[in-house]
Amino acid sequence: MEQGDSLPSVQRLITQEQIEKYARASGDFNPIHVDKEFAATSQFGGTIAHGMKIAATLSEMMTEAFSIDWLETGRLKLRFRAPVYPGDTVTAFGEVKRVRKRDGSREFFCSVGVRTQNEEAAITGDATVTVPVGDR
Amino acid sequence: MALDYSKLQTGESVSSQSYLLDGDTVAAYAEAVGDRHELTSKDGLGLLAPPMAVAALSLRGVVNDLAIPGGTLHVGQELEFKRAVAVGETLACDAVLTQNSVRGDWRFLVVRLKVEDGDGHRVMDGKSTIMLPVQGVSGTEA
Repeated sequence: MEQGDSLPSVQRLITQEQIEKYARASGDFNPIHVDKEFAATSQFGGTIAHGMKIAATLSEMMTEAFSIDWLETGRLKLRFRAPVYPGDTVTAFGEVKRVRKRDGSREFFCSVGVRTQNEEAAITGDATVTVPVGDR
Repeated sequence: MALDYSKLQTGESVSSQSYLLDGDTVAAYAEAVGDRHELTSKDGLGLLAPPMAVAALSLRGVVNDLAIPGGTLHVGQELEFKRAVAVGETLACDAVLTQNSVRGDWRFLVVRLKVEDGDGHRVMDGKSTIMLPVQGVSGTEA
């Protein structure tokens, strides 16, 4: 992995069933995610996915690219910019912007994001990971 | 009784919970997000949890203990993973309020997250920024 390389994108179709599974798994039952009647009266006009569920696609992408080093040294800084609705297909994407050599390791600075099928940015942010020299 | 968010002070602990990250919890999380990675520890700890499962656990206490109202929006998240967490570990998740302000119709809460393993070693740090609608929430200026 070098500067300018793209990270392996991850694509997911988001469904209401998955959103409800995420609510149970995370313990976050905010009605904006799981109560269709409540959500219909909100500014979004319907239920939306948890931001952290969508952000999970970014972590999955980083795990695909950097394996266990991501779990041990990963850093994420994210802004949730637009809602993701059931029926949307999201794509997590990223690019290595800079590689810094340090004592026995390389630090990868990546720009990352998640966009919908309409090319709308749902999440934007940065990810950083440190990899021992020779690993990647 | 509804929480009066205007009375929350910066520096105040808003959640302190302990969770067992067992196989069922991790499997439910992985199914909900569609993550098929199965990584095994280099140190013989066994199957590793997706790091965002740890992050989700750390937020569970915040959501529940702060009784986050409907209509709340999660607008920003920072995470720093310190080490991989194995399935079966018990994690202590603490959250401290670092900002409580009102802008327009929204209250902004910023919460620092800290997750430690059973030996007191840090496994994750984080910072969450959430927006609560001021109207209709106890303790509002509206």
